Amino acid sequence: MSGGHDDHGGHGDQSPFIQHHYDDAQHQFDSGKFGIWLFLAQEVLFFSALFVAYVLYRVHHGEIYSYAHKWLDVKYGAINTAVLIFSSLTAAWAVRAAQKNQKGLLIACLAVTCACAFGFLTIKYIEYSHKVHEHILFGRYFDPCVSPGGEELLTKKNLCPGSKGSVVWDEGSAKPTEGCFEASKLDLDTRLAGVQADCEVTLVKVDETGKELGPASPASVTNRCPDELLAILNGEHDTAAGTGKELVKEAAPKFPCWRPAYQPAVCPDLTTPEQRTHGAGGKPQVGILVEFGDHEEREDIKVKAKCKDATAPKPLDALAVSHETQSEHLGQAAIHPAHVVTTHEEHEIESLGPPPEHTSMFLTIYFAMTGLHGIHVFVGIVVFIWLLIRAIKGQFTPDYFGPIDFAALYWHIVDLIWIFLFPLLYLIH
Amino acid sequence: MADHAEHHDDHENEISHVASVKTLVGTGGTLLLLTILTVAATKIDFGANINLAIAMVIAVTKATLVILFFMHLRYDRLFHTVVFVSAICAASLFVGFTLMDSSQYQHTNIWHPSEPPAAPVGPRPTG
Repeated sequence: MSGGHDDHGGHGDQSPFIQHHYDDAQHQFDSGKFGIWLFLAQEVLFFSALFVAYVLYRVHHGEIYSYAHKWLDVKYGAINTAVLIFSSLTAAWAVRAAQKNQKGLLIACLAVTCACAFGFLTIKYIEYSHKVHEHILFGRYFDPCVSPGGEELLTKKNLCPGSKGSVVWDEGSAKPTEGCFEASKLDLDTRLAGVQADCEVTLVKVDETGKELGPASPASVTNRCPDELLAILNGEHDTAAGTGKELVKEAAPKFPCWRPAYQPAVCPDLTTPEQRTHGAGGKPQVGILVEFGDHEEREDIKVKAKCKDATAPKPLDALAVSHETQSEHLGQAAIHPAHVVTTHEEHEIESLGPPPEHTSMFLTIYFAMTGLHGIHVFVGIVVFIWLLIRAIKGQFTPDYFGPIDFAALYWHIVDLIWIFLFPLLYLIH
Repeated sequence: MADHAEHHDDHENEISHVASVKTLVGTGGTLLLLTILTVAATKIDFGANINLAIAMVIAVTKATLVILFFMHLRYDRLFHTVVFVSAICAASLFVGFTLMDSSQYQHTNIWHPSEPPAAPVGPRPTG
């Protein structure tokens, strides 16, 4: 800067944004740059705390990471990496444009950087909303509807909304909507209210007209928690009623009630605590988990439930299954699933089983790290919009582009952190 | 910095170094290639530790490129490098020291009120 000091600003050869307490433009720029580097150093330390949590947990519980990272979609992570790298390029280019007084290019670079930041957060929103929907969340909210392989899991509360939950029957209209059966219609083991209905579910292949073509694979799902264990784990009984047999608590698995798809399960009516139990006017309900994954075509398999008691579920709906129910004796009912699965999809399902203990910690760390990073991206958007407005007003000149440079440095550190988060969270082998 | 800028082909700015288009695009392109490489590397099984090492080497390479060229640290004041590298060293110490003594922790025992822990062995402290 040739810069004589210009107290009036706006004319002469010096930017009006050079503050009078600096010697010249160079002095102001250097002071700002030193400040931003100190801030970036602080940011590294700030994030390092979360990296410590990550590393410590990974050393002690590697199995959690190798299981749970499969919930994360590498595709989204890789796209977001590319988006951030590209926006880093445009941010760096914006600095160059400002230094060379290329106003149009500067505006374009800032706009593209901002758009990329929006794109990043949009992709993050898609990822997060999927996890919220599937209850793949942190801490006590961790109650996943599906395993990382796409296998249905019976959740602790069976509250997977809409898609992944149960076949849904509306008692009033007697039509499947998206909820559950009324428990009184089923042969419930009353010891296990809220846990299990004694039904066996089979899958049947059907053609387009609904004609049955024989059992589908898996022909039936019998794999479920033993009643005794469920009772213990629900804190209801120390002995299995009727057997008089004393049960050992240690026999209980750590994650007891993760059961595969097609397992009938009671959906507790959670309106009031009283309603969760029998005989208090409540209606514990039963549903059958039917959906794999998040796919569209579910045409050629039918789910049938066969329950123990002859008075058991008689779906009262008048939908596609009605011809099915009338031909069956009372103890067997055809359940029309909200969605059925194609054979094609079955091959995509990787059987990973229930989550190992403490799996929620991976999601806690994932949400803490990506969440904090996401907040930084959001702040970046605000800053870049501010810079965009100033750039359009033509406030940046070759002797005054500090804000662009400092914002770009901030944006690069955001990129830098993602460069580590991506392989550490998404690319676990 | 002004005195550095003269050594570079782009020296239109008197306050700070101007990165050339070639540097910017080259850095961006390399970063994208390395991203593809790191995703591809996970498809091949070298064993968990080697895969992790490969991913980390690529991540550190990418980070270095960002710092040197996008963040202009290569052309910037040495003192800024000192500040930033100190922060990275502090963070590494933080992670490293936590790992060093992580095996020293006992498992956390959460006692149920009905089953209190056994009385400690040894003489009762006096006083």
